[in-house]
Amino acid sequence: MLNEIKIQQWNALIATLSKDELTWVHGYIAGKLSIGTIEPTVTASAINTTQKVTITYGTETGNSKKLAADFAAKAKKVGINAKLISLDQYRLTDLAKEDYFVTVISTQGDGEPPIAAKKFYDHIHQNGFTIPKLKYGVLALGDTSYPLFCKTGEEVDAQFEKLGATRFAPLQKCDLEYETEANEWFNKVLQLINTPTVETLVATVLPAKKITTKKTYTGTIATNINLNASGSNKQTHHIEIIADDVDYECGNSLGIVPENDLETVTEILTIVGINRSKIIAFKKESDTVINVLTKKANIAYLQENTIKKYAAIIQQEIPIVRIDLLDLLKIYPVKDAEQFIEVLSILNAIPPRLYTIASSPIAHNGEVHLTVAKDVFEIDGLRKFGLCSRFLSLQKTNTQLNFFIQPNKRFKLVEPTKDIIMIGPGTGVAPFRAFVAERDATGASGRNWLFFGDQHFTTDFSYQTEWQNWFSTGVLTKISLAFSRDQEEKIYVQHRMLEQAKELYEWIENGAIVYLAGTKNPMGKDVEHTLVQIIKEQGNKTEDEAAQYFEKMKDELRYMEDLY
Amino acid sequence: MSEKQNLSAVEYIKLKSHGLRGTLLESLQDAITGAVREDDHALMKFHGMYEQDNRDLRAERAEKKLDKLYSFMVRMRIPGGLVTPQQWVAANHIAGKYSTGVIKITTRQTIQLHGILKNNIKPTLQSFSKTALDAIAACGDVNRNVACASHPHQSAIHAQIHAYADKISQLLLPKTRAYYEIWLDEEKIEELNEVDPLYKDSYLPRKFKVGIAIPPNNEVDVLTNDLGLIAIIENDELKGFNIAIGGGLSATHGNANTYPRLATVIGFTDTEEKTLKAVYEVLTVQRDFGNRSDRKLARLKYTVDKMGVEVFKKELETRCGFTLEAPKKVLFTARKDEYGWVKDYQNKWHYTLFIENGRVTDENDYNLKSALLAVAQSGKANYRFTSNQNLILSDIVETDKATVESILTEFDIINKQSNLSSLRVNSMACVALPTCPLALAEAQRYLPALIDKIDIILAKHELQNEDIIIRMTGCPNGCARPYAAEIGLVGTSSGQYNLHIGGDRIGTRLNTKYKEHLNEASILGELNTLFSLYKKGKKATETFGDFTVRTQLV
Ligand code: SRM
Ligand SMILES: Cc1cc2nc3c(=O)[nH]c(=O)nc-3n(C[C@H](O)[C@H](O)[C@H](O)COP(=O)(O)OP(=O)(O)OC[C@H]3O[C@@H](n4cnc5c(N)ncnc54)[C@H](O)[C@@H]3O)c2cc1C
Ligand SMILES: Cc1cc2nc3c(=O)[nH]c(=O)nc-3n(C[C@H](O)[C@H](O)[C@H](O)COP(=O)(O)O)c2cc1C
Ligand code: SF4
Repeated sequence: MLNEIKIQQWNALIATLSKDELTWVHGYIAGKLSIGTIEPTVTASAINTTQKVTITYGTETGNSKKLAADFAAKAKKVGINAKLISLDQYRLTDLAKEDYFVTVISTQGDGEPPIAAKKFYDHIHQNGFTIPKLKYGVLALGDTSYPLFCKTGEEVDAQFEKLGATRFAPLQKCDLEYETEANEWFNKVLQLINTPTVETLVATVLPAKKITTKKTYTGTIATNINLNASGSNKQTHHIEIIADDVDYECGNSLGIVPENDLETVTEILTIVGINRSKIIAFKKESDTVINVLTKKANIAYLQENTIKKYAAIIQQEIPIVRIDLLDLLKIYPVKDAEQFIEVLSILNAIPPRLYTIASSPIAHNGEVHLTVAKDVFEIDGLRKFGLCSRFLSLQKTNTQLNFFIQPNKRFKLVEPTKDIIMIGPGTGVAPFRAFVAERDATGASGRNWLFFGDQHFTTDFSYQTEWQNWFSTGVLTKISLAFSRDQEEKIYVQHRMLEQAKELYEWIENGAIVYLAGTKNPMGKDVEHTLVQIIKEQGNKTEDEAAQYFEKMKDELRYMEDLY
Repeated sequence: MSEKQNLSAVEYIKLKSHGLRGTLLESLQDAITGAVREDDHALMKFHGMYEQDNRDLRAERAEKKLDKLYSFMVRMRIPGGLVTPQQWVAANHIAGKYSTGVIKITTRQTIQLHGILKNNIKPTLQSFSKTALDAIAACGDVNRNVACASHPHQSAIHAQIHAYADKISQLLLPKTRAYYEIWLDEEKIEELNEVDPLYKDSYLPRKFKVGIAIPPNNEVDVLTNDLGLIAIIENDELKGFNIAIGGGLSATHGNANTYPRLATVIGFTDTEEKTLKAVYEVLTVQRDFGNRSDRKLARLKYTVDKMGVEVFKKELETRCGFTLEAPKKVLFTARKDEYGWVKDYQNKWHYTLFIENGRVTDENDYNLKSALLAVAQSGKANYRFTSNQNLILSDIVETDKATVESILTEFDIINKQSNLSSLRVNSMACVALPTCPLALAEAQRYLPALIDKIDIILAKHELQNEDIIIRMTGCPNGCARPYAAEIGLVGTSSGQYNLHIGGDRIGTRLNTKYKEHLNEASILGELNTLFSLYKKGKKATETFGDFTVRTQLV
C-alpha cells in the first residue's frame, strides 16, 4: 500500500523511536483514523520542538472570542505555544511571519464580517501579496436561519488559499449549537499541528450539523399600537403576538422573515411583463413568481455581488452600488420575462430580522411582545422605510405571523437574588420590560435599576404607565431618565450614569449585573466608555485596570449586552 | 370658633406643610411622572399653580401606555391688573417658550399661562421674577388677586384708588419664603422666623377675594367678591370706602346649601388706615369662624350667613377697635369697559380692546398677540387688564397716540374691533375644556360660535344694538360670573346648559335659573321667544334683565 520510499521513511523513523514514543504513535494514528474522537495523549516531553500557533478571533457578540480562548487554553495544556489575539488587535504585517494560524470568525449582518474583523477582512482581500509560509485553519460561526450561512468564514478560508497559504485543517462551519463540533474540530487541529505533515488539504468543508431545535412558530397578532404620542418624531410599535406553544426565555429575540411590499412587487411584475402565477424554481423549491417575489426573494438594497451577477445576465456595465431591484430594473431593464427569471435565480433569500422579546414567558403566558421602531431613512431626499419594521408596523390584529425564537447565550436574566442595572434607551428597553415583568411575576428579591432615554418625556416615554406601576409597588427600585430634546443641551443615559456614578459603582461592587441593550452606534459605544470611566474614577483605577475590570465583567457575564 | 372636629383633608395638608413647602422639592425630582405628589396639589395653588392634564388626550394616551399629559397652569399676581410694556413683552416670550403660547386674561385682571411642563415651572417663574412679577397667592386659601376698577378715565383720582389694590395685596401676602426657595432657588431660611400673624399655620378656610369699584361703573362686579370696597368720591376727593362682605357666586348642582350671594354693604371707613385695618380683620374673622370641615361651605358668604351680618359686624368692630360709619349712598349706572380711544383727566389716551374670553393669541388671520407685542415693544403704553377679560392700552401721551394707532392699524386691529356685535363685546366665558378639571361642558371654545347664532336672532328682532350682558361657564362654579349676567349659561353636561335670566345690567341683582339642561337648539329657541317678548313689551330704556323680572318671567 505505501510506496517504496514511504516504507523506507517509515522503517527509518520506527527504528529511532523509544517505547513511549511508539505508544504515542500508536495512539496518534488511532486518533487520526477515528477523526479525533479521542484526545491525543500528547505530552510536552514527547515533542522535540514545541510548536507555535496563533489563534485569532473575529467576534460581534462574543461567541468566537469565548471559543478561541478555550482553544488557546487547550493548546497550552498540550504544550503548544498558543498566542490568542482578536483580529482588530492583530498586526497585519505579522501574517507573513506566521506559521500555524487558526481563525474563529462569525458572520454578521447580511453575510458580513463582524465589525471588529472588518480591517483584517479587507486587508486579506486586497490581494497583491502572498503568505506562502502560513498554515491555516478556519472555524466559521454562523446561523443556518440566515441565507448566507457562515459566509465570512468561507470567504476568509478561500482567500487565504488565494494568497498562497496552506490549509492544514478543513474549514469547519458551525450553527448556533457549535460547542461539540467546534471542540472536535480543534482536537484535530492540535493533532495536525503536532505531526507536521507535508500534505495540504484541498478545499474541504465540514458542514455544520444543522440543529433541529430551532422551530418555526405561527402566532396571531393581538395588539399593534404606536407607543409614541402625536407630535413625536418616532414611531415605535408595541406588538403582542399570541402563540400558546411558544417556548422562549427573557433575553431571547424573535426572528422574522418580512414580506416585500405588494406595490413594489406588482410594479416589478408589470415592468418585466411576467405572468405572476408562473411556476419557477427558487433556492431548490418551486413556487409562483408572485410568491417568490413577495415572500422569498430579497429585492431590497441588493448586495454588490448580486449586482455583479445582474450585470452579467443583461450584459451591461453597471456601477456596483447597492440598490433596490425595482430601481435597477428601471435603469437597466431586462430583455424579457425569460431573462427576468434568470435574474430571480441570482437573488438571495430575504434575511430574517431579529427583535429582542419585550415579554416574559411567565408574566405574559402564551404571548410574545415586541418593541419595534419603524426604521426611517433618506435616499436622495426620498423618505424610505426599513423593510421588516415597516412590515411589522402594518400588521393588522388577528393576522398570522411566522417567526422563530433566537436564543442568546450572552444575554440572560440572572438568578432572582441578584441586583440588576438595566441600561436600555430607545428600543433597548424591550428586554428590560421582560426582565422586570418576570421578576415581578416571580417575586424576585434582587433590586432593579433602569436607565431609559429617548427624545421627549411627553411623547416618547415607552411603557411609562407600566414603569410607574412597577415603581410604585417597589419592583422597580430606581429609574433614571434622560430625555435628550427636552432642554437646550442634549442629555443621554450616559450623562445620567455619570450623575449617579458613585451609587452605580457601589451596586456593581455589590455584585449587581449590568445589562446594556439597544442600538450599537453611537449609544452602545458611548455607554461602554462611560462605564469604564466610572469604574476608573469611582474605583480609582488606572485606564488599564478599569479596562481589565470591565473585560472581566464581560467574561464572567456580569456585564451582558444586546446591541444592534 | 370654627368646628375643629373632622377638619377637611386640605386643612391637614396646610398644617403639616412647613410653610407651604410640603414635598414640593421632591415632587420636582420625580422624573417618572409629569405630576406632583398628591398632597402637593393643594400647596401648588398657594404658589399660583394648578396641576392639569389635557382631557382631550386621556383616552389616546392610556392606550399608548403613556401617563396623562400633565402640565401646569400658572396664574400671576397682578393687583388691579396693571403691567408695564416691558412686563408684557416678557410675558409674551415666556408664554411662547414654556407654555401653549396663549396668554389668557382672566376675569380677575390677571394672566394665566397653560400647558407648562413640570420641568419648565422653575424657568417660567424665574423669568417672570426677572421682570418683577410673581404668582404668590394667586390661588389657594388666601387673599387672591385684588381686582380694581381699571380705566383711568373713571376718576380724576383713579391712580390714588388703584394704589389700594397693591397695598391690600401686600398687606395680605403670606409671610412664608417658600416660593422664593422652591422656585427661585433662594437660600432656605429658618421656618421659625417666618411666623404669620394673619394666616398662622392653616391659612384661610377657603379662597378670599377683594374687589374695589369706582362708581358709577361696576365693571369689577364688586359685590361678587368676599370683600368689596366701593370708593366714595366727592368733587374729586376720596372720602373713603363703603365696605361690603360675603359675596361669592359658586353653587354646586343639587346642593341646596350652596348658593351665589352678593356682598352686603355693612359700613364705611374714611381713612386709609381704618380701611386697611377693616380689610385685615375681615380676614381674621373668616380665619377663625369659617367652616374648616366642609370646603363647599367655607367661603366667607356662608360664615356671614351662619353668624348673621350684625354679629359678624360686631366681631369685626371689636377686632378693629373702632365702629364702622353708616354706608354712603352709591349709584351704579353701568358695568362695562369703555371700548376704543378715551382721553382721561391728565389728557392721557387709553385704547380699550375687546378680547374674546381673554385669549391673546394669533389665530385665523387675527394677529392680536403680535400686534400687542409690537405696541409693547414701542414702550408707549401700559397694559391694564379689566375684569371683563379685556385689555386697555393705557397712559399714552398725546404725541405717542399716532404711533400706537398706526401699529394697531397695521395689524388691522382697530377695524376688526369696530365690527364686533354688542352682544359679543358684553360677553364672557370661562376656560373650561380642555384644561379645567371641573368643566362639565365647553365654554370659551363654544360661546363665540353660539353668539354668532344668537346675533342672528337679535337682528331678527332688531335688538342688535342692545348691550345685553351674556356669560357662560362650563360648570356651576361661576368663574365668568354667569349668575351676575342678564343671560347666564351654566354648563351641566356636555352640550347642555342651564339658562339663567333676570340679572340687572349694573351687577346689583343676581339672575335666576329659568330653564335646565338646554342643548343649543333649545337655548336658541328659548332666547328667540324671550327676545320677541322683550321687543314687544320693553319700556323705553328698559334693559333685558329688568324686563324679564318686571314681567315675572323669573
Ligand atoms: C381663569 C378663571 C376664569 C377665566 O376664564 O377668567 C378661573 C378659572 C378657574 N377657576 Fe375660578 N376662575 C376665575 C374666576 C373665578 C370667579 C370670578 C371672580 O372671582 O370674579 C369665580 C366666582 C366668584 C367666586 O369666587 O365665588 C370663580 C369660582 C371658582 C370656584 C368656586 C369657588 C367656590 O366658592 O366654590 C372654583 C372651584 C373651587 O375653588 O373649588 C374655581 C376654580 C377654578 C379653576 C382653577 C379650576 C380648578 O380649581 O382646578 C379654573 C382654572 C381653569 C383653567 O384651566 O384655567 N373658580 N373663579 C378666573 C381667574 C380669576 C383670577 O385671575 O384669579
Ligand atoms: C439581536 C438583535 C435585536 C434587535 N432588537 C430590536 C428591537 O427590539 N427593536 C427594534 O426596533 N429593532 C431591533 N433590532 C434591529 C432589527 O433587527 C432591524 O435591524 C431593524 O428593525 C431594521 O430592519 P428593517 O428590515 O426595518 O430595515 P432594513 O430594510 O433592513 O434596512 C436597514 C438599514 O439598511 C439601509 N437600507 C435599507 N434599504 C436601503 C436602500 N434601498 N438604500 C439605501 N439604504 C438602505 C438603511 O440604512 C436602513 O436603515 C435588533 C437587531 C438585532 C441583531
Ligand atoms: C444581526 C445578525 C446577523 C447575522 N447574520 C448572519 C448571517 O448572515 N449568516 C450567518 O451564518 N450567521 C449570521 N448571524 C449569526 C451569528 O453569526 C451567530 O450568532 C454567531 O454565533 C455569532 O458569533 P459571535 O458572537 O462571535 O459574533 C447573524 C447574527 C446576528 C445577530
Ligand atoms: S366655571 Fe367651572 S369650568 Fe369654568 S373655569 Fe371655572 S371651574 Fe372650570
